[in-house]
Amino acid sequence: MKKLSVSLMALTVAGAAQAADMGAVDEPIKLAINEWTGQHVTTHVAGEMLKAAGYNVEFVTAGMMNQFQALADGDIDATLEIWSSNVSDEYAKKIDEGTVVEIGDLGLAAKEGIAYPAHVADLCPGLPAWEALKDCAQVFATAETLPGGRLVDYPADWGTPGADRMTGLELPFKAVPAGSEGALIAELRASTERKSPLLITFWQPHWAMSAYDVQFVDLPAGEEACFNDPAWGPNPNAINDCDFSPSRIFKASWSGMEDKWPAAYEILSNYQLAVEDQQPMMGAIDVDGGQVEEVVAAWMAENEGKWRPVVDAATQ
Amino acid sequence: MTAVTDLPTQNSAQLTAGAKAALITVIVGAVCLVLEGIAPWLVKWPTAWELPATQWVGAFLGWFLNLIKPAMRLFSDLMTYPMDWANYVLGNTPWPILIGIVTALGWYLGGLPMAALGFLGLSFVLASGYWAESMNTLALVAVSVPVALIMGGGIGILANEVPKVKSLVQAVLDVMQTVPTFAYLTPLLLLFGFGPVVGLIASAIYAAPPMARNVMLGLERVEPEIKEAAIMSGGTRFQQLFQVEIPAATTQIMVGVNQCLMAALSMVIIAAVIGGFNDIGWEVLLTMRKAQFGESLMAGLVIVVFAVVIDRMSGTLATERKRYDSRVVWAMLGFAVLFTLAFRNWLPNPSELTLLDPMAEAVDSGLTAFTQANGPWLDAFKNNSLFYVLLPLRIGLDQAVLPFTWGFQWTSTMSAGLFAAGAAIALLMAWRGRLTGGLIVLILIGMLETGIANLPWPFVLTSVAALSWVAGGWRLAALCVGLLCTILVSGLWERALLSLYLSGAAVFSCAVLGGLIGLASAVWEPVWKVVRPICDMLQTIPLFVFLIPVLMVFQIGEFSAFLAICAYAIVPMIRYTRHGLVNTPEEMMEAAISSGATEWQIMRDVRAPYAAPTILLGLNQTILYAFAMLVIAALIGTTGLGQSIYLALGQADVGLGISAGAAMAVLALIADRIVQGFAEERRAALGL
Repeated sequence: MKKLSVSLMALTVAGAAQAADMGAVDEPIKLAINEWTGQHVTTHVAGEMLKAAGYNVEFVTAGMMNQFQALADGDIDATLEIWSSNVSDEYAKKIDEGTVVEIGDLGLAAKEGIAYPAHVADLCPGLPAWEALKDCAQVFATAETLPGGRLVDYPADWGTPGADRMTGLELPFKAVPAGSEGALIAELRASTERKSPLLITFWQPHWAMSAYDVQFVDLPAGEEACFNDPAWGPNPNAINDCDFSPSRIFKASWSGMEDKWPAAYEILSNYQLAVEDQQPMMGAIDVDGGQVEEVVAAWMAENEGKWRPVVDAATQ
Repeated sequence: MTAVTDLPTQNSAQLTAGAKAALITVIVGAVCLVLEGIAPWLVKWPTAWELPATQWVGAFLGWFLNLIKPAMRLFSDLMTYPMDWANYVLGNTPWPILIGIVTALGWYLGGLPMAALGFLGLSFVLASGYWAESMNTLALVAVSVPVALIMGGGIGILANEVPKVKSLVQAVLDVMQTVPTFAYLTPLLLLFGFGPVVGLIASAIYAAPPMARNVMLGLERVEPEIKEAAIMSGGTRFQQLFQVEIPAATTQIMVGVNQCLMAALSMVIIAAVIGGFNDIGWEVLLTMRKAQFGESLMAGLVIVVFAVVIDRMSGTLATERKRYDSRVVWAMLGFAVLFTLAFRNWLPNPSELTLLDPMAEAVDSGLTAFTQANGPWLDAFKNNSLFYVLLPLRIGLDQAVLPFTWGFQWTSTMSAGLFAAGAAIALLMAWRGRLTGGLIVLILIGMLETGIANLPWPFVLTSVAALSWVAGGWRLAALCVGLLCTILVSGLWERALLSLYLSGAAVFSCAVLGGLIGLASAVWEPVWKVVRPICDMLQTIPLFVFLIPVLMVFQIGEFSAFLAICAYAIVPMIRYTRHGLVNTPEEMMEAAISSGATEWQIMRDVRAPYAAPTILLGLNQTILYAFAMLVIAALIGTTGLGQSIYLALGQADVGLGISAGAAMAVLALIADRIVQGFAEERRAALGL
């Protein structure tokens, strides 16, 4: 419900746009800071946009899995980078309750897949074609997985997409759940440093993609039919014999936000961030050791054209 | 579970309790083994028999939590005031003044060494660049500790005043300490809302039991004469308690305060998992997520520094101390204020200090160099441990022995041969008058052949019942079996067995290795000088920090989890073994020396038996620590109850989280009670 602003300023630009009401400007808008750098960038950019519109912003650290209760209670007002591949069941519950609302896609094009550090291509010739894995399984075998190869999968609470691919494509690999993101990174780092074989379920944008030169295995395209129709794809008897379904990255807010800060709600709803913008900022922070505030401030100054229109559309 | 087998056995004509128990276990095991083929429900509890207990627990808790939610939210709102004040005060005090205060406090409590400790400790924190985050952490501890002290003190006094509830209170305290904090984070979030208050409550729940236990112990030990004097002087019960008995128990209560502080500090990292404010635990989590060992070690060391400073300073409260000159205190404070005023415009912003970054980088590249240089033999070490020890233990020789692990395929003939050999040993030992020992050998061989994860449930129930009966009689046996049955029907049995296997293997290794290190530390002082600071660090650093180097070297999997558990759980074994061996009474030693015993004989016949109860207590602590670490180890990808707790946390599934946490507590409690039963027996035998 966008209310027409009755402020004098709005009247002077009458007809140009339907400016939303600013709402409770004195109270800070609380944005969730989760555990990964990309999310920090996303959130700080959004925070700066809200500040530019005249709001107070407070950044609150919150565990990615545990933030939805806070969002439902209004202890946090918005969280801006939710991955559809990795969202807790609680989110669905809160959406059903109506205490949390989804406020559109972030526009960050994500890709998940079966991946390997570049040096592994020497150990298993034929990569990145997925068929090569059929004959290389021995290379990836470890004590826990013998005689199969070892695939490091997502932590169990993120689901088992890697294991599903191995079953669907009948690859002789056993998926081992990682337990945490830190464990995935430690595997990538150890493999790169020791030049040892590694097959891992991974995603981008992620700073480790470039830091450890991670490549994706080419799998048959993940079409809708692949996940429903066993006949589709290279294995006529199974579903999931293809790449990951494209994951969506979206934003969500507390249900009361629209009434309390209408303009801010509109800004966050329309806010978009591209991989090409986010990834260099992540690199500047994680690889070059910059502070997130400084890196974001520099980007904001250089790319005003990318965010100013969204702020103006809501406030003028 | 294998370490406590040397029960006294006399001749076989009259069956001892141990022999009877072992015999029953062997019979049940044999029956299960024979019927395995025709009755698969003996091995695996059928899904159809499971009760949807986790759903019931979830539904009940959902209803109950909503009922008390308004009151808890009110409490939560109230707690934000002291929290904000503590944050404001600590966050806005210039760092030279804070360092001055801590140094002065150190002087007041313990003279020059304490003052130096406080000064150097806080200087390290300053140099690390985590000053602001550390102050947030301190604010949390500063509020949660008083809450825990009041809670613990209240519970302790209640148990003292109303003796009827004492055993109930003991059980509640056990539960508070053994249910992993992660298991009740979700309900806490629901109750108290998001934010630091949840972390505060979680750490208060964990930190209150040591306080309660020490208050109970202290009040119990007040001399009867003192109590009588209080009664005779005509005070009310309230006056007797607060003006006579509690002051008389001060020293013991101060031990409780010290333990309470340490426990609260060790929970800091858990508070960070929820988030809500930017504390040092959050920094550990962030660096851990990037697998930056150096940085996470530095952030973890900040917590260690706090722990050491707080521990040593509050430790002086528990001992009689002399007064130190208070003029020095004022001089130190005055200097700090003057320093701040004089340099207020030139004080560096503590968040920008990076003095320790080179150290962090050095540690990190050191780890890289280590993994690169030692890859092959470390891999071989891991593979051998897995093939020849861990895998057979988990899934049994019949499944673990395969052509590409051992070089040949296990056959049923080999199983028969193994059992025949076991039976032969058992018969031989029975003939030599050690029936119990023989039967236990047979049981162990059976377990090795089947694997812990595949043990038939009737066998597990019987053996636990038998063991607990020997350790503590019928009541303990009934309790243990009842508790195990709740896991069985709740459908968490398989995961519980996996957890049992992993922690069992870790406890066994810790008992052997820790015992040896403890022995070495006891007989040779320089060893202890090296071992002690390592133990201190292992106990207080956030457990997460261990995970990165272990992962880098041994990759994701059970072996890494096993090592991480060992690193943490071995500490009490070392400490208690040494403590027990060192503290043999002088007169016993003198008697042994004068009777001409050699050093080795004294160790074997005098010191070791005398230390046995203490060592058993150490084993008990090792078991509890191993279970505590199980949850953390799930972050490296284990599949037991720890993983269930994370799954529940992720899905905000209150029922599963609480059930899995309860199952873990049940296993820990059973192990604890059985070991305590044996320790009691040893103490009685020694006349203590």
